Amino acid sequence: MNSPKSHPLLLGALSLSVFFMSWIILTKAVGTKILPDPFQVIGEIIRLFKTPLSGRTLLEHVLFSLRRVLIAYGLAIVSGLPLGLMMGWSSLCRKIIGPIFEIFRPIPPIAWIPVAILWLGVAEGSKIYICYVGAFIILALNSFTGTRYVEPILINCARVLGANRKRLFLGVAVPAALPSIFAGLQNGMSMAWMCVLAAELVGGREGIGFIIIQGMNLDRPDMILAGMVVIGLLGALMAIVLRILEKVLCPWRRELV
Amino acid sequence: MTTYNPKTVTDQSGSHDPVKVKVRHLTKAYDELLVLNDISFDIRKGELLCIVGPTGCGKTTFLNCLTGFAPLTSGEILIDNEPGNLFRHNIGFVFQEPSTIPWLKVWDNVAFGLKIKKLPPPEVISRVEKMLDTVGLRRFVDYYPRELSASLEQRVALAREFAVKPDLLLMDEPYGQMDIKLRYYLEDEVRRIQMEEGTTVAFVTHNIEEAVYLADRILVLSQKPSTINEEVAIDLPRPRRFDAPEFVAIRNHVTEAIKWW
Ligand SMILES: Nc1ncnc2c1ncn2[C@@H]1O[C@H](COP(=O)(O)OP(=O)(O)OP(=O)(O)O)[C@@H](O)[C@H]1O
Ligand SMILES: [Mg+2]
Repeated sequence: MNSPKSHPLLLGALSLSVFFMSWIILTKAVGTKILPDPFQVIGEIIRLFKTPLSGRTLLEHVLFSLRRVLIAYGLAIVSGLPLGLMMGWSSLCRKIIGPIFEIFRPIPPIAWIPVAILWLGVAEGSKIYICYVGAFIILALNSFTGTRYVEPILINCARVLGANRKRLFLGVAVPAALPSIFAGLQNGMSMAWMCVLAAELVGGREGIGFIIIQGMNLDRPDMILAGMVVIGLLGALMAIVLRILEKVLCPWRRELV
Repeated sequence: MTTYNPKTVTDQSGSHDPVKVKVRHLTKAYDELLVLNDISFDIRKGELLCIVGPTGCGKTTFLNCLTGFAPLTSGEILIDNEPGNLFRHNIGFVFQEPSTIPWLKVWDNVAFGLKIKKLPPPEVISRVEKMLDTVGLRRFVDYYPRELSASLEQRVALAREFAVKPDLLLMDEPYGQMDIKLRYYLEDEVRRIQMEEGTTVAFVTHNIEEAVYLADRILVLSQKPSTINEEVAIDLPRPRRFDAPEFVAIRNHVTEAIKWW
């Protein structure tokens, strides 16, 4: 007999089949009106692909959400990363920006929804803004800690060899912070997804959050679950893309085989 | 049995060699903790000075004061008769802890200082290649530091510091991680590089045998708050033999001098 250790795929398949079996059994117990089974959910996803909901197919809804997330994420990267790096590197920046940052940091992005709608309306602006706030804080924080806590020995090693401030920053602090920055990129992305859903649940006529809220209004649990599955898949896809990017950009972190 | 009469070096102005590092009334305290207590000595140009002393007596602290990493509490340290300046003085520092650059492969680690100093690329290549052979890292050029053993990793740091041909080389227990064969080999290498390049070397070690083997002079520090217990000039001919009676006598003498218990 083979040990289960040598078959991670087999083990994964086993755990997934147990999960789906339990789901199906649970459906049998409570009825499809409350909990649709996996096949119904897949069927609903396919249906949403073909039949427009509120004038848009599933793909168009996905693209709406994706667009919001990516715009917000891009803005968060170009503003949050430099801010965090500056705060981590320069104690002057840290002293000036730090206290303001500490005030805004603990506010959950979702708490911004009402005021964002008030200021920017229910259209794209407020939704993008909320995603932006969520991703921004995480990106700034991670690039901050990454540069702030660089191993002093690495800095000293470069200093003895005659490196100037610019060289220390670009040649030591930034590469040393890359793993932490990548963790920020990952978590910032999940946060942006979370926020887009929340924003779309509150208001909007398109996006995956809208599908979920429609499912609730129409008393269609299969539609709700379909939306949830789609958002889960998209989030996982993004995470995989980022992980591949990290492997390429931080090759020294690769696991030993 | 051979006994050893130490030539304690007290008169610093009596030497005719030019001075590379001048330490005067160096005192260093971390908050309440007094580590170095009014220490004065010189390191002469081209000299290999070994610094020994009980653990925690402030050997690393001294090197950190010398490079300016740690501010002095009082006193002064001059390099070439001026305050140390890392942009002007060509200093190499082999740290006690691992200090390889994790995101650079071995080759680029060794080239790290040469690139900072903006040497022309052909010179960088030839120096790196030479150093890789010196420390026996040829096979590992494409490895990242985390893929190396502790001894290999330390050799990367050694090669990186040797490569810049420093005129002041600071080594903080550089060979602690290494087996005896490699240590003997690298002890001879550091001596060879020092002779070829005229490097001034400050070499911190716990290994008294190593100190007697390498040093032109040994500085024995006391327990903290540290002062200089003794300076021992060693003029044994080279290559030195560990089992020569004079060698053993000096080793025993230094061992006695270092005892704080
Ligand atoms: N940054 C620091 N802040 C506070 N105390 C420190 C600091 N660095 C060193 N010390 C203290 O100063 C004393 C001397 O430390 P140092 O590292 O210089 O000793 P050392 O002689 O190099 O010891 P070892 O032989 O173990 O390497 C120790 O008691 C240590 O705890
Ligand atoms: Mg030390």
